[in-house]
Amino acid sequence: MVSKILEITGLEKKYNSGFSLKVDHLNTEENSILVMIGPNGSGKSTLIKLINLLESPERGSIYFNGKLITGSGVDKIAVRKEMATVFQEPLLFNTSVYNNILMGIQLRGKTISDCKEIFYYLADKLKIKNLLRRNPASLSGGEQQRVALARALVLEPKLLLLDEPLANIDQQSREELRNDLFDILRTAGRSTIYVTHDRNEAMIIADLIAVVNEGRIEQFGLKDEVFRKPASEFIAKFVGIETLIEGIVTEYRDNVCRIKIGSSKNDIYAVSAPVDHGTKVTIAIRPEDVILYNIEMNPESSSAMNSFMGEITEIQDLGIFKKVEIDCGFSLVSFVTRNSIDRLGLETGKKVLSSVKASSVHIFRGSR
Amino acid sequence: MEIIWQGIKSAFFLIFSGNKEIYEIILLTLKVSGIAVIISMVLGLPIGLLVGLNNFKSKRFVITIINTGMGLPPVAAGLFISLMLWRSGPLGIMGIMYTPSAMIIAQVLIASPIIAGVTLAAVQQINPKLKLQALSLGANRIQVLWILLKEAKLPALAAVMAGFGGVISEVGAVMMVGGNLKGQTRVLTTAIVQNVRMGSFDIAIALVIILLLLTFLVNLFLTLIQQKENKTWYQRFWK
Repeated sequence: MVSKILEITGLEKKYNSGFSLKVDHLNTEENSILVMIGPNGSGKSTLIKLINLLESPERGSIYFNGKLITGSGVDKIAVRKEMATVFQEPLLFNTSVYNNILMGIQLRGKTISDCKEIFYYLADKLKIKNLLRRNPASLSGGEQQRVALARALVLEPKLLLLDEPLANIDQQSREELRNDLFDILRTAGRSTIYVTHDRNEAMIIADLIAVVNEGRIEQFGLKDEVFRKPASEFIAKFVGIETLIEGIVTEYRDNVCRIKIGSSKNDIYAVSAPVDHGTKVTIAIRPEDVILYNIEMNPESSSAMNSFMGEITEIQDLGIFKKVEIDCGFSLVSFVTRNSIDRLGLETGKKVLSSVKASSVHIFRGSR
Repeated sequence: MEIIWQGIKSAFFLIFSGNKEIYEIILLTLKVSGIAVIISMVLGLPIGLLVGLNNFKSKRFVITIINTGMGLPPVAAGLFISLMLWRSGPLGIMGIMYTPSAMIIAQVLIASPIIAGVTLAAVQQINPKLKLQALSLGANRIQVLWILLKEAKLPALAAVMAGFGGVISEVGAVMMVGGNLKGQTRVLTTAIVQNVRMGSFDIAIALVIILLLLTFLVNLFLTLIQQKENKTWYQRFWK
């Protein structure tokens, strides 16, 4: 049976600056990775500090491994010893890399022989084996963060707290370290809370996602649920939904609603729960779900309910993908590979046929 | 020039001739200043750490007091301790006026603020997030202080050196509370003053050279500790 490693209810923390963090409910299960995403200053790091008992809440409860860890009479040091935290800065001490990695081990009353195997594994995996004699001051930012990660992972904590560990590293080192770290997390199957403002990281590693904004959890759920069915326009934008269109529901039949988009001739179909006729809605379509065809293709030959003829207004290079913007009476964004661009001969000003399955169109009530 | 050369020759003669009085003065100097610095470390380092690392209402006022203490004139410290230890003073009952103990107390009063002040300034330069990191690794309060003191190892040892330098070269306070009694409370600085007064410049120069040599050796020892790399864990376990 999968048990909850962490459960938070009614948590509140206020600061003199006026900022307040309020978490009605949040939980994560054993061996799963909860990713907290949100803009800078939204309260993600504060929540990490509250969970690690480095700060105290005004009210609310945190249950860790089934035990209440907030309130008086809690042995905070004992609780912290079951967790490990990596902050945005490496925060290494002025001693050798080796001593830094083993500092937590020593503080937790363990001996070196207890962790020799994982120590060697991490030193190898995080590529710091050759740095052990060095002082952290002589290392690059990426190398320092590798040491900080090793220092936390060597403790084999019941809950690993990673507070934007890749945020202060240059692009190239970040990608390398991300791959190494995610590989370790997947292999170890460790219960982890990972804070980031990078939705791509969330998409790669998360089991659960909590979107934090202005001190509140705006949406919490399984990764696919949050990415596919954002609860608000803010979340939609944050999880990378490029196409957001306002419309009015004109028909609802067989779990599919038809939405009229302004003066556009093209209506959009979306699979949804029952919606009343005339309801104002915002439509969200992920760019990966928009498929482009050559205009010779017969739209009727596709199972997709939404097919729009349009003109390409812009093509932007995003590295792996190219972002194609199409004017179909409303603006539609699609991500396609370089190969597809060449194969279809796509270029600005060219007509193109695009399609989206009704099940890939998400709607939420209200307009912007 | 002749008098300086004569002083240097006398210094070597005094050091190597086995002059009992000189050795007693050197030993008493080291004993009084050594004990005073150790007590000052025990008081000054934790005070510096606690004031530097914690935020409390009257923090600025406390820092101002410590900083004022750093510039405390030795004669003021001597006068204060004299008044305390004088037979009719509040601590007169202890009967330690004109003893090495009184000299140690006076030197502690001079060195403690120096060590506390330099430590305080040093730990305030440490990244405050290191405290959070130490706590999250599972450190208790004392372990956090120890870890952060090690972070400020260089300036903390500089504080000890400054404290030692302050007391071993000090003359006003030890003269007042020690009395420069031959064979009992005479230390290098008070002996130098007395020899200058008596016109025995060669002995005074010799004693100054010995004082400088002692200060150099003690500081050399502290500098070696300060600059030493901590490799023990690595050497022991990584092969």
